[in-house]
Amino acid sequence: MHQQVSLGGGRKLENPEETMWTQGEHENPFRENTKLRICNNNNNNNNSSSLVQEHSCNSCCPASQVVQSVIDWRRCVRCCVTARGQDAVAAGMPLARSISVTSLSGLEEWDEEFDLEDAVLFEIAWEVANKVGGIYTVIQTKARLTCEEWGENYFLVGPYTESNVRTQVELIEPPNAALRRTIDKMNSSGCKVYFGRWLIEGSPYVILLDVGFTAWSLDRWKSELWENCSIGVPWFDREANDAVLFGFLTAWLLGEYAAQCEDPPHILAHFHEWLAGLGLVLCRQRHLPVATIFTTHATLLGRYLCAGNVDFYNNLAEFNVDKEAGDRQIYHRYCLERAAARCAHVFTTVSKITAIEAEHLLKRKPDIVTPNGLNVKKFSAMHEFQNLHAQSKARIQEFIRGHFYGHLDFNLDKTVFLFIAGRYEFSNKGADIFLEALARLNYLLRVNHSQVTVIAFFIMPARTNNFNVETLKGQAVRKQLWDTAQTVKERFGKKLYESLLVGQLPEVSKMLDKEDFTMMKRAIFATQRQCLPPICTHNMLEDSTDPILTAIRRIGLFNSAQDRVKVIFHPEFLSSTSPLLPMDYEEFVRGCHLGVFPSYYEPWGYTPAECTVMGIPSVSTNLSGFGCFMEEHIADPSSYGIYILDRRFRSVDESCNQLTSFLFQFCQQSRRQRIIQRNRTERLSDLLDWRYLGRYYVAARHMALAKAFPESYVYEPHDPTSTTGFRYPRPASVPPSPAHSLHSSPHHSEAEDEDETYDEDLEAEKDRLNIRQPYSLPNKNKSLAVDLPEKN
Amino acid sequence: MPEADQAFVTLATSDAYCMGSLVVGKCLRKHGTTRKLVVMVSPNISREARLSLEDVFDEVIVVDILDSRDRAHLFWLGRPDLGVTFTKLHCWTLTQYTKCVFLDADTLVLCNVDELFEREELSAAPDPGWPDCFNSGVFVFRPSLETHSRLLEHAKMCGSFDGGDQGLLNAFFSDWAIKDINKHLPFIYNLSTSAVYTYLPAFHKYGHQAKIVHFLGKNKPWHVPYKQQPSTEVTQWDSNRILEQYVNLWWAEYYAHTKTHVDEPDERHDSEPIDQLGTLAAAPCSTQVTTSPHRSQPTATSPTAPFPHSRESLFQAKDREEKIPSESLGKLTVNVPSSSTCHQLEDMCSTPDIVSAADPEDLEKSELQEPLVEQKQLEDVSGAESALSEATPDNCSTPDIVSAADPEDLEKSELQEPLVEQKQLEDVSGAESALSEATPDNATMEASKENLEHRKRWEEGHIDYLGKDAFENIRIKLDQFLK
Repeated sequence: MHQQVSLGGGRKLENPEETMWTQGEHENPFRENTKLRICNNNNNNNNSSSLVQEHSCNSCCPASQVVQSVIDWRRCVRCCVTARGQDAVAAGMPLARSISVTSLSGLEEWDEEFDLEDAVLFEIAWEVANKVGGIYTVIQTKARLTCEEWGENYFLVGPYTESNVRTQVELIEPPNAALRRTIDKMNSSGCKVYFGRWLIEGSPYVILLDVGFTAWSLDRWKSELWENCSIGVPWFDREANDAVLFGFLTAWLLGEYAAQCEDPPHILAHFHEWLAGLGLVLCRQRHLPVATIFTTHATLLGRYLCAGNVDFYNNLAEFNVDKEAGDRQIYHRYCLERAAARCAHVFTTVSKITAIEAEHLLKRKPDIVTPNGLNVKKFSAMHEFQNLHAQSKARIQEFIRGHFYGHLDFNLDKTVFLFIAGRYEFSNKGADIFLEALARLNYLLRVNHSQVTVIAFFIMPARTNNFNVETLKGQAVRKQLWDTAQTVKERFGKKLYESLLVGQLPEVSKMLDKEDFTMMKRAIFATQRQCLPPICTHNMLEDSTDPILTAIRRIGLFNSAQDRVKVIFHPEFLSSTSPLLPMDYEEFVRGCHLGVFPSYYEPWGYTPAECTVMGIPSVSTNLSGFGCFMEEHIADPSSYGIYILDRRFRSVDESCNQLTSFLFQFCQQSRRQRIIQRNRTERLSDLLDWRYLGRYYVAARHMALAKAFPESYVYEPHDPTSTTGFRYPRPASVPPSPAHSLHSSPHHSEAEDEDETYDEDLEAEKDRLNIRQPYSLPNKNKSLAVDLPEKN
Repeated sequence: MPEADQAFVTLATSDAYCMGSLVVGKCLRKHGTTRKLVVMVSPNISREARLSLEDVFDEVIVVDILDSRDRAHLFWLGRPDLGVTFTKLHCWTLTQYTKCVFLDADTLVLCNVDELFEREELSAAPDPGWPDCFNSGVFVFRPSLETHSRLLEHAKMCGSFDGGDQGLLNAFFSDWAIKDINKHLPFIYNLSTSAVYTYLPAFHKYGHQAKIVHFLGKNKPWHVPYKQQPSTEVTQWDSNRILEQYVNLWWAEYYAHTKTHVDEPDERHDSEPIDQLGTLAAAPCSTQVTTSPHRSQPTATSPTAPFPHSRESLFQAKDREEKIPSESLGKLTVNVPSSSTCHQLEDMCSTPDIVSAADPEDLEKSELQEPLVEQKQLEDVSGAESALSEATPDNCSTPDIVSAADPEDLEKSELQEPLVEQKQLEDVSGAESALSEATPDNATMEASKENLEHRKRWEEGHIDYLGKDAFENIRIKLDQFLK
């Protein structure tokens, strides 16, 4: 079998077998991966365990199915899957089993005690009207809801940059007299403060502080910081120096505002991330009458440690944090972050997993977890998202037709599109484990003679020299075939028409003449291809060292005809103007069947959340904030299209097997099952809407107010991080045992089991009640909470 | 004194420029000016830098960028870009003086330039880039609130054609180029370093007469590392070398009495060109350079270099009042055309090694002191050394900090007369006891200095995160205000 294999950049390998696994190599397929997870069983030695499994294979599988010539440990996955019955159950999607979404415990009573009439909220972040990273999305999407709650008393505080102000902010006069005095005062004392409306949904007020303009105060402020906190900031760290300026400016603003109000309101200041954290420390140090909240979206040290291939979660408790931060030259930043966490009245993180991280790295347990939400776009038509899926899928299929020209030996209607997307962090984003699982899935599908083909997209920007010729040629060939077909169709139609005009039924053999056949034959010949369809759509700059391509070479997924799993690596962000795949990211996601995000380090994870609101199922992990959140609020996440991989308490190999079984189960689902699953997934979007998640922020704010102003506010502590039982258990009619779900096991046929009852409207209604608590403005409408269904 | 209402004015808008201002002040003192020294600083200057300036200057005036004067205020709000320009214009508000000479912080005064006060407003030297404009690095002016407000008015109406103060001043004093030749200062009062390479032959012809060197352009001397030992090829007359030597001279001034020891013994006596004597013959203080044996003195002196400073502090404490007569005496010695500066410059152009002596203290000594005195000093030095090393152990380890802790260093340059030196010497025996008395007072200084050092280590990224900078200690500090 000497096929030519084309990887990215038109690179051809004469002998692909050489790059395939040999026995010596697969003794330890994860030898490069230093992140050995907590491992509960004896799976430390892959070689020995694989031999053990081999043995059990022979006992349960027909010998014919085992390819004797190659001792490939992948084949044992199948046994693992069957042996690990509970995985299969978790991954399967019993249609009749309904629902087990929970709503949050105890949150519904929180809102009522608080009168926000004389309270003012400042939300301070470096990414207010200033897109740098993900915090921008959080703040920008949350603004609408917070505006509704706080109205005129809500101010976002950020840094001033001219370009951003020109494009996103409308400068106006402050409507509030005290604030106007504050700003005037500051402007006349040598700083520049701008006030305006941020032109986003909800159009909140923004106060923008010109950090560069007050650079002349840097030394004085750094001295003050040194005197008060014993924290110095190296002169060469520009970002940290900006943080100092920004911190002092915000503290000045808040202090000045408190002084300018005759009857000081209750000021609440919410700081995001370390860049804003110093302002909080100063508020406390100056004893300003301000209730403070500090939210970290990830810890500085966690980010650095994970980037450095450290076995992070297993050693979380053992790190000497001072040393780790100091060794990585971020000690001063870490000090600022930790000082803010220390000083805040209320400290929050975005997810349970980050809470654990913060507890160990910042040495403070978050008071409450405030997950990130989205602004969910509601379509007026009920199943519009399903239509959009169909449209986008058709466009992806077109691309596939071109990309695989000459090798289109698979049925596109039975092809499942998987994708992974994000920053190119090979192991942090879980691309390593995904590739491994794809290799195993390929094997499983082949030994099961599955009709399903899987195409996995990797959308991760890397350094490239534009598209490669082979991929572009694929699209050109497809276009040519299309044109040929059109031409023949035209002629055919004309002859048919003429024949009908003279009152004769057309004679089929004369409809296509020789010329047409020649043209068609020529077109068909043009689709012949000497090489395999390319893996990579672009010419990579670092082709030979690229981690994805290297892994693909190792596992041998070269898009050959017998592979049931094909891989396409698109090392660039998607764009609707691309000549190759002219779709933007959202369209692309809608057209796929499953998003796979098996991240190792992912404080929140907007990518799976975005999938969910578009009704696309996704795989995430219990190390990502999103996975934790979903696991906590849904009893049976996989039937909702939320597959949560255990990467915390299992070894890499086990996680890999689990992912493989998820993918395999997904591939076994019928079209109808997938549609139902998408419906369920889409229903979860209510859970990710700020209207729902915003309440955590509300709770955090109330907590802070009660802590800072105990004479005015009372907060009764609930324990929001624990799920005290699901309040909506599974309906009694559904058997809790896994027996029922075996129907969706690998041998399950395309035909629907008629006995599986599925009433979408009923289910949806139930979900809606479970998930949705109508969001009420705290000081009004207390009666709304009554709408909740009673507990079972 | 008739000169009490006249002053040299300089300006520092950042800590780096403070270094420059410090050198300007030190040089003026060293060359025995009889006028007041004033430095204007913007509020962002660190306390330490300001303290060190206070030791050299008679007045340190903080000029708020936003002046309370309404006109300035209003205007400034409209045109923030001219903020720094404004700071310089503040010099016209120094109405406690009748006439002033403004010197940029990036100038280096090479000899006494008190004669500038004979000029009228607005006298300045031509700018090398456009000689019909004057360079605003050195100019004579009369403080006047009226002029000041007219300047502001002018700035408001017309702005500055180059965005800086020079454009504004040239537009305001627009008749400078043609009206009165007496207002044209000779170029040697504001010798731009760029002239070195734009017109090298002229520099060779006239360069040694320079009185004030102006480091124009982006690279200020404080950006360039101080080379203790410049490259040894004397023959090469290349402009970079000359610039380098000016920079080294600047650093030598900067380190004068701040730097406490010299690492390498210098070998200036080896390479003394003979033709230098011709120029030097014109100098009245010819005794300074007569013989090489004395020049070898610094070799022996350098290890004990810290010694004179402390002695000085003692001297200052006692003899503040007596200083003035002795200063005027100093003026007699120094304020003669092409005196020691000329000598220095000459040295610089021909034999870089001399400049490389690095410790100007040594230079001064060899130039100004009687051989006898030096020798005598030597003898005493050994006795006092031990006491000193106990009293000021830190001086040796941190030569680069101009800190409040050793103000005595900064004023050293005032006192150069042999007479004074001799007088000092007589007091040497008493110095030990006085020093040991001063130690308790030093304790607080030591503490604040240590604090400063500690912060500086953070600033440089050398954090003792496993020791005293551990977060636990920061937490304790934070908890003080949290409770």
